[in-house]
Amino acid sequence: MEEISLAINGIRVSCTPGTSILEMAEKNGIKIPKLCYHPDLEPFGACRLCLVEDEKSGRIMASCVTPVAPNMEIVTDSPRVIKHRKNIVRMMIAEHPESCIVCSKGNRCQLRQIAAQMGIGETDLYPMPNYKQLEVDNPFIVRDLSKCILCGKCIRADHELVVVGAIDYNLRGFKSRPATLHDLALEHSNCTFCGTCVSICPTGALAVRDTKYVGTPDREEYTTCGFCGVGCSLLMGVFDDRVVEINPGGLHGSVNGATLCVRGHFAHDFLNARGRLTQPMIREGDQLEPVSWDEALSTIAKRLGAIKKNYGPQSIGLFGSSKCTNEENYLFQKIARTILGTNNVDNGGYLAGRSALRVIHERTDGGCRINSIDNLCGAESILVLGANPAQSAPVLSYAIKRAAKGGTPLIVVDPRKTDLTPLSSLWVPISPNKDCEWINSLAAILWKKFGHDTAFIERFTEGFGPYSDALSSFNPERLCLATGTDMASLERAAELLKGKKIAVVVGHGITQQRSGARTMDALLNLSLMTGSIRTKAGGLYVIAKENNEVGAWDMGTVPNALPGRLPLSNADARKEWERTWNVKISPDQGLNLIRMIEESEKGNLKALYIMGENPLRSLPQGDRVMEAMKKLDFLVVQDILHNETTRIADVVLPGAAFCEKAGSFTNMEGRIECFSEVVPPPGGSKPDWEILDLLATRMGHEKRYGSLDKIRAEMTRSIALYANLKENTNKNFSWIKETSKLRLFSSNGEGTMIPFSSLRPVETEITDDEYPFTAILGSQRFHLGSGTRTAHSERIRDFGLKGEVELSPEDGATMNLKSGDTVQVQSREGALTREIRLEKGLRPGLVFVPTAFHGNDALNLLGLIQLEDTQSQGFKMCQVRLEKLGDNK
Amino acid sequence: MKPKEIDWNQLSSIIEKHKGEQWGLIPLLQEIQEAIGYIPPKSIEKISDAVNLFPAQVQGVITFYAGFTLKPKGKYVVRVCRGTACHVKGGRSILRLMKKELGLEEDETSPDYQFTLETVACLGACFLAPTMMVNRTYYGRLSPTKVSSVLAQFKKQKGE
Ligand code: SF4
Ligand code: SF4
Ligand code: SF4
Ligand code: FES
Ligand code: FES
Repeated sequence: MEEISLAINGIRVSCTPGTSILEMAEKNGIKIPKLCYHPDLEPFGACRLCLVEDEKSGRIMASCVTPVAPNMEIVTDSPRVIKHRKNIVRMMIAEHPESCIVCSKGNRCQLRQIAAQMGIGETDLYPMPNYKQLEVDNPFIVRDLSKCILCGKCIRADHELVVVGAIDYNLRGFKSRPATLHDLALEHSNCTFCGTCVSICPTGALAVRDTKYVGTPDREEYTTCGFCGVGCSLLMGVFDDRVVEINPGGLHGSVNGATLCVRGHFAHDFLNARGRLTQPMIREGDQLEPVSWDEALSTIAKRLGAIKKNYGPQSIGLFGSSKCTNEENYLFQKIARTILGTNNVDNGGYLAGRSALRVIHERTDGGCRINSIDNLCGAESILVLGANPAQSAPVLSYAIKRAAKGGTPLIVVDPRKTDLTPLSSLWVPISPNKDCEWINSLAAILWKKFGHDTAFIERFTEGFGPYSDALSSFNPERLCLATGTDMASLERAAELLKGKKIAVVVGHGITQQRSGARTMDALLNLSLMTGSIRTKAGGLYVIAKENNEVGAWDMGTVPNALPGRLPLSNADARKEWERTWNVKISPDQGLNLIRMIEESEKGNLKALYIMGENPLRSLPQGDRVMEAMKKLDFLVVQDILHNETTRIADVVLPGAAFCEKAGSFTNMEGRIECFSEVVPPPGGSKPDWEILDLLATRMGHEKRYGSLDKIRAEMTRSIALYANLKENTNKNFSWIKETSKLRLFSSNGEGTMIPFSSLRPVETEITDDEYPFTAILGSQRFHLGSGTRTAHSERIRDFGLKGEVELSPEDGATMNLKSGDTVQVQSREGALTREIRLEKGLRPGLVFVPTAFHGNDALNLLGLIQLEDTQSQGFKMCQVRLEKLGDNK
Repeated sequence: MKPKEIDWNQLSSIIEKHKGEQWGLIPLLQEIQEAIGYIPPKSIEKISDAVNLFPAQVQGVITFYAGFTLKPKGKYVVRVCRGTACHVKGGRSILRLMKKELGLEEDETSPDYQFTLETVACLGACFLAPTMMVNRTYYGRLSPTKVSSVLAQFKKQKGE
């Protein structure tokens, strides 16, 4: 496109047509004051502060909404401009309340900054403060709309970035203010408390509710959110070595830009919780007594050494962490494999359904790992299965919603109405555990309608013949019926997807379900058939529950794979690592989390070393897990918070939270994010890698690493996937390296073909007449995982969520239950007592049980069973019955 | 005051008619306002679903335009002019009289939903000052007797 040439403040410049004057000025290093402009939002022209003058025409105009035109002669600070600008600010200040002086936005208020810059102290105007009710009833956001300057940034952020639509302008003129529907308090609206509007508000009208620790930050540092697998970049405000404030990192190219979710924004107050561990402790009878690091570490080395000697390496188990860094997980499994000599090492990712994901990993030869969330905005269609990302991975949901708002067809396949269904083109209310059949029926119809990508299939795949034959012989009508949905919606789905690449988004509703592996298999077939892999227009997005679920697997903190996800059963891979580490690696597959508990129960496992997991809360059947662990000779727990598991430990080691150490996480996109320490670890606690490093040397590792860089260097050298991990600073990230040998993923068009897999037979259903309801377990956005950390957040606690069990109004009527009644939910494995809420749109026969509440008692309903067992119901659902205990008073 | 009964069927059919229309919001709101006399707050979510907007956005449009109201109004909306010309010609006494006659304060509606009393800044008919409007009809050169006779006319209609 031809560039436009014009002048600004006497300098000749050129830029592309369509650029606004403001952007052009900024590109040329000229600053124009602005209050309502934000680079991520549609320009709005509300505040008029960005006025400039075109000397040629004599026109004064708002530069943020005026595009450049040829031969303009822009002046940004002519006397006329300055005069107008000053008047605007004077009027804003005249309308502002006196509480300005004690405003919590303090020096970060942009209005105050601009007033100061322009030398406006007294306005010489009659003050006309516009008092509005102060809203302080929720623990997250304080709204003082007396201070609102109607810049509309909060509204645009809410509509354009997070796509919630909680607020908009209400009324007009002097009365006009951003308001929720019916002008209710935020907690009575559909606001998600993501806080995005708070960070973007230029004044003190929207502010964060204080917790115990406040203060104007004396410095700000970037880091990566430690909650979910989206891996948002955060900017932490620090006062006196405490994190007192969190804002979105706003970094170019980051996953989240100017957005966050309620956890990232507000729940990090757990960092300052009273329950933080600050010193090593050793059990003396019933008590945990503080000891020195030296004593704690030598005790561990001694006891583990003795147990290994007496009972063999297989008598020791290690729980690594999907929350700890890559470097720490690498070191952790290295200790297990090289010093203790066991593959009994696992992490919480097992419960998130890792075994289902292995199907993809194996079939793609480790490809398909890189799926940038940003690409979703350019996807041709989006298919979301078994996921409610607005709760589990909110920032991912923003991208999906933005795409859907922009017209991308969005299909939601879920037994429940999710937060995405209102924006979707189609919601398929499928029966639980039937996704595989539905996907195969969809594939059959697409095949019939020529919805496949012949060029892609020929170029990259093999075995399409038998696969398509199987599809042809299918009776989609019959299969569709079995999924509890109708043919019409299947046809509609096929119509929406035909000829399009599909971005598939998969959640724990799939990976944790009984037939998760079959479903993933079917999905990959569908993606291959439609040519949707390795293109920006499609993709396969798997939601990671925890921040480093992906990295922990990559680092080999799993019983059946070495770092780099190389199968332990592969003799060559073992040899490779034996050379690198200079030790013999046991070829015996280790125990997974569940098996470790079973072996402890049987008395075969004698010692357990747990880093950053709280199995008493995160595993099914907490009581049984507790009994099993009590049988151990020796239990070490390395964590950041006092929790259910530290209470029964023999040795407790205080680790550091993510922002108290340096390291890297790998997110669900395949992005490796590096960060450095923001605040020092509290009290006597230490970064987990340092603890492991110290312990390893005591147990015979020849030499200490001594620094994170040395660990990272070894990883980068020896793990092909992580070869890109440079020594980068906290603002940086790199992507996982593509290592798949398949042609589909190679850069030079060479390599082997990816096979279609045959359709797997339908499984028999598990039904149980005594337990007529199907309970679905799922998360709510205020908590993460089992809720250990979020339950330590003062704000989340203050919000007073009850975690009601949801039931359909139809079942409510039959059972004579109404919202607020108390019920007991019972499965064959256990029970819980909770209030219920009747939820319109929920399928009769289903109940929804939110996890992480009340010590995560939801997991009592599940059996302590492995996902791959034939009798397993998975970690997502189980059969239950309900019994009314009390009336809503 | 007893809440006004809403004919939800009628409302739904109006909403249904404009469903999916890209620029359908304002005509849709106008039609509801016309048919029901106001826009029931409870209908906002249904409306926003139909036109693919956020409920808060729909509310913003309703409260922006003076022609839409969220509160039920009377069958007859009386607007007394409080503009300068009318003021000079005794608009204030006309308002006072009106309040007495109807037993209503400004912006109030009678419990039987017959009358709503409002004021406006200028009806744009200053040459007829003092003025008022009942629904869409203008009344000028008002005097206490004229006010009473105009009102009587509507009160009579009511009796029918
Ligand atoms: S609340 Fe803040 S962001 Fe929203 S319009 Fe007012 S000043 Fe702007
Ligand atoms: S906190 Fe988030 S959801 Fe709530 S109003 Fe602000 S931007 Fe919208
Ligand atoms: S979406 Fe996940 S990573 Fe982002 S702020 Fe929320 S919890 Fe943190
Ligand atoms: S920044 Fe341009 S009008 Fe506000
Ligand atoms: S002042 Fe009353 S009509 Fe103009």
